[in-house]
Amino acid sequence: MYDVQTHRAEKDLIVNDIKISAKNVQVHYGDTHAIKDVNVEIEAKCVTAFIGPSGCGKSTFLRCLNRMNDTIDICRVQGEILLDGDNIYDKRVDPVQLRAKVGMVFQKPNPFPKSIYDNIAYGPRIHGLARNKAELDEIVEKSLRRGAIWDEVKDRLHAPGTGLSGGQQQRLCIARAIATEPEVLLMDEPCSALDPIATAQVEELIDELRQDYSVVIVTHSMQQAARVSQKTAFFHLGNLVEFGETGKIFTNPEDPRTESYITGRIG
Amino acid sequence: MNDLNNHIVSAFDRELEGIQAQIMKMGGLVEASIMEAAASLETRDIELAEKVRAGDKVIDDLEDVLNEEAARVIALRSPTATDLRVVLSVMRMSANLERIGDLSKNIAKRTGVLVQMPPVGDTSTSLRRMAREVELMLKDALDAYIQRDEALALDVIARDEDVDKMHNTMFREFLTFMLEDPSNITACMHLHFIAKNIERMGDHVTSIAEQVVFLATGSKPDEARLKKDKTSTTLGPQHTGNGA
Repeated sequence: MYDVQTHRAEKDLIVNDIKISAKNVQVHYGDTHAIKDVNVEIEAKCVTAFIGPSGCGKSTFLRCLNRMNDTIDICRVQGEILLDGDNIYDKRVDPVQLRAKVGMVFQKPNPFPKSIYDNIAYGPRIHGLARNKAELDEIVEKSLRRGAIWDEVKDRLHAPGTGLSGGQQQRLCIARAIATEPEVLLMDEPCSALDPIATAQVEELIDELRQDYSVVIVTHSMQQAARVSQKTAFFHLGNLVEFGETGKIFTNPEDPRTESYITGRIG
Repeated sequence: MNDLNNHIVSAFDRELEGIQAQIMKMGGLVEASIMEAAASLETRDIELAEKVRAGDKVIDDLEDVLNEEAARVIALRSPTATDLRVVLSVMRMSANLERIGDLSKNIAKRTGVLVQMPPVGDTSTSLRRMAREVELMLKDALDAYIQRDEALALDVIARDEDVDKMHNTMFREFLTFMLEDPSNITACMHLHFIAKNIERMGDHVTSIAEQVVFLATGSKPDEARLKKDKTSTTLGPQHTGNGA
């Protein structure tokens, strides 16, 4: 018999392992204190959305998760970020290896000026993931299939990646990011340059990727965060104001600042 | 941060204010319909009863308008959090108000029949008192809505018990009149339906008050109120041996 209490309890019970655990993270750009003591736990096999007004620190924090901020001289990161329990800022960690495990997709599709095939094959080649041509072919096909773009490009794998449409280019970039078998996929505004159809395709893809990966997405579209994520983090002025189940954040947030932001009262 | 009470898109504020003004207007009409239906019964005023019956059309139309506007806000503004609760609560409240309007209309219809029969004791005065109680509850529920006043809404929910008690008492009274003189049966059946209508109005007001709690807090009031209306399990006095 249907029992509403059991139904609710079961919904609450779905708890995944913690993939990334950030502890007391502080980020400074020169004199600017961009991230203020952020603590957050990102689950495996879950889509986590970071929302907040421009300049709130959500992209900065996202970039900490695969040490993209290392490339900025004036940027200083303090605190601990643990990936499966290991601190990614440890001196022994090679950022290149880390970025193979924690892939990234950017706002503007940025395929390499190479063929579709080589765009995907690049990562596996430099990380030595394939022993021969046949294995590489397999990785390319598998990645393009997971990127939900295989059917559209299978007959022109050697055409330039830059010749695809914007939405296709973005899915190509997602396929490229997953070709190195990452565990976490970071996405910084992956749909902001796409039309609604391409956006829906990428959102559908994100939902499929959740079966295997932990996905963290930064988005300015609150509706997109509501649609694709299971957990949502709201950032404001460098603080993590509220982090919780997406349904709760969008129906009954705890913090008045979250409420003001999601209802369109502060920008 | 700027003013937290207003949306950046001011048209959104105007639309939300618009639907809330409509629900208040609808509430005002329903309050009047309750009191006028009860007054028409007590004063045996056919014209007033007719006015209540005709007025129900306006209440029904307002419900349609509210549902259309609420759907429009959902489609165009994607409301979240409190905004979403405003829209959801308005939709539910309008359904409750519309039902109360129907119940008033039904009382007015029965008034039309009852004036053709001699009055049964002073039961119509008791019914008017009961209706007054429900009307006050509705007024407070609507005030609580505007003020987002959870405490007042909970008070309204608690007061529905008094209405249930009044209904229990009236039910026994009608049974007594019917046992005394079977020629009272037709009138008493109508009067009892009226009492039941008013009791149901109280339930709808309770549901409105629950929406106020939902709007203010994001969740419904915790504890289910104990069911105090016992008429559905009451035996006649001749069966319980305590006579009339």
